Amino acid sequence: MKRFAIAADVIDTDALRAELQDGGNGGFCVFEGWVRNRNEGRAVDGLEYEAYAELAQSEGERILAEAGALHGVDDLCCVHRTGHLKVGELAVWIGAASAHRDEAFRACRYVIDALKHRLPVWKKEHYLEGDTAWVACHHAHGEHSRTFAPDYTRQTRLREVGTEGQARLAAARVLVLGAGGLGSPALTYLAGAGVGTLGIVDGDRLEASNLHRQTLYDARDVGLPKATLAARRLAALNPSVTLRTWTEPLHAGNAADVFADFDLVLECTDDMRNRYLSNDAAVVAGIPLILASVYQYEGQLQVVEAGGTPCLRCLWPREPAADAIGSCAANGVLGPTPGVLGAMQAMEALKILLDLPRPREPALLLVDLLQHDLRRLPIDPATGCAEHGGCAAVARKALAEAQRIGDVDRRFTRLDEAAAAGYRLVDVRDAEEIATHPADCATLHIPAAQIAERAAALGEDRCLLFCATGRRSRDAAERLRRQGRGETYSLLGGLAALDTERARTHS
Amino acid sequence: MTTLHLQYYAQLREQAGVGAERVTTEAASLGELYRELAQRHAFSLPADALKVAVNAQFSDWDRPLEDGDTVVFIPPVAGG
Repeated sequence: MKRFAIAADVIDTDALRAELQDGGNGGFCVFEGWVRNRNEGRAVDGLEYEAYAELAQSEGERILAEAGALHGVDDLCCVHRTGHLKVGELAVWIGAASAHRDEAFRACRYVIDALKHRLPVWKKEHYLEGDTAWVACHHAHGEHSRTFAPDYTRQTRLREVGTEGQARLAAARVLVLGAGGLGSPALTYLAGAGVGTLGIVDGDRLEASNLHRQTLYDARDVGLPKATLAARRLAALNPSVTLRTWTEPLHAGNAADVFADFDLVLECTDDMRNRYLSNDAAVVAGIPLILASVYQYEGQLQVVEAGGTPCLRCLWPREPAADAIGSCAANGVLGPTPGVLGAMQAMEALKILLDLPRPREPALLLVDLLQHDLRRLPIDPATGCAEHGGCAAVARKALAEAQRIGDVDRRFTRLDEAAAAGYRLVDVRDAEEIATHPADCATLHIPAAQIAERAAALGEDRCLLFCATGRRSRDAAERLRRQGRGETYSLLGGLAALDTERARTHS
Repeated sequence: MTTLHLQYYAQLREQAGVGAERVTTEAASLGELYRELAQRHAFSLPADALKVAVNAQFSDWDRPLEDGDTVVFIPPVAGG
């Protein structure tokens, strides 16, 4: 047996020892890590461990599996504490039991070394002088982070930046929605530049198909939440940055409030709904917004500075239907395309934060990376929302409408769970998609385009609509709710999210 | 008849199979031109989902066409 746990309470070592006792085991090796009374010359009174619990759990299990496979040991247990610990208290317990002593010693040694480097756990030391400090004890930090001082001289040497500009960056709070192809370079550059607080919003878990363009992540991270992974990577890149994470997408009910905690927002999602939500929330909150999106080999960039700059709705007043626009999944994308556009978003963010020279007239920038074509189309502020009461009025109305319809998304890990919970399942994919990837559950088939006409077929049942990615089903569910149908929901992330969950739990 | 230089972005480029083309048309306005092109290339997006720019300036759909105009059609894109 192998068991890894993160524990908030005192570790019961007798119970752990008993778990490992087996007639076939002749050697048992234990390692205990205790809280020490000194660290790097300073007297320590105690400490506090904080873990990214979900990530720590999966990383811990992975380490035990590796140790077992490498050294041929079947019985391994490890428990790592979190919370407040006094000097002398047990912080980590590792037990390895095996037929012979050699492999038990080796496996035990492997586990403690790997934990020390890889477990996403931070310790906050309480010094006798009364002050405290967070010390990363995993990954790229380790002992190094205690002595690491960021060096921004390459950018402070710029006349327009200087130490004053660096202080501005340190005081700045930037929210990045979407830690994917655009978010990876944007977040990396902003963390590297020393932006004081970075917020990361991403409701997705990492998929293998993300890795060709999402440079924040490793192959071993597949299946884990991207916001948490991104925070871990950025904390390693620049330990002086404060990171805040949201592992669920924002919605009409909270977006403007979350935005109000930041000075600037970068819209880096791959979701048209989210782009409109960010636009409306930024306009209402009066926060500058930098929008970018990509399609195959090209991209669009729009900077909406607060105070009446034309917004996304000035160009495209209504969100297009989910099946009318493309996506990276459906149409493909070459990795560097979002790389270029995401780097441009970081550049625009720094320009605003540092008040660097930049064009003042609003524009949409079109970037065609195949043809080396960079086109700047000025936007006339007298057109667009200005003809409908102004951006703020339009955005408030759109947010109110989105709140009225409510959140139709529901998260499930398996379709039969939804059926068991009393939802009638409705597959809104096209016939050919269903033929290639049938859903493994009895469902009603109504293509998204026909949902309004065929709503009667749903009766009065509570329905869960689903498609491949959750976008067409969300559109369809909202269409039905607008028609006055209650109890209509959409499977968040679609069938792709189910597959991810399955891959993760089976890995 | 006017001869125009056309540029397509995103799914329009994909559906047209080219990023740019020169066309000679009898269409009197941008709206008419798009209807003509939508039929020829089987564009899936309606004109009201697009922005159109002429000679690097956004334009209304009822704008008349002039020889030598460069016309750009831009759909919103969402990839990231």
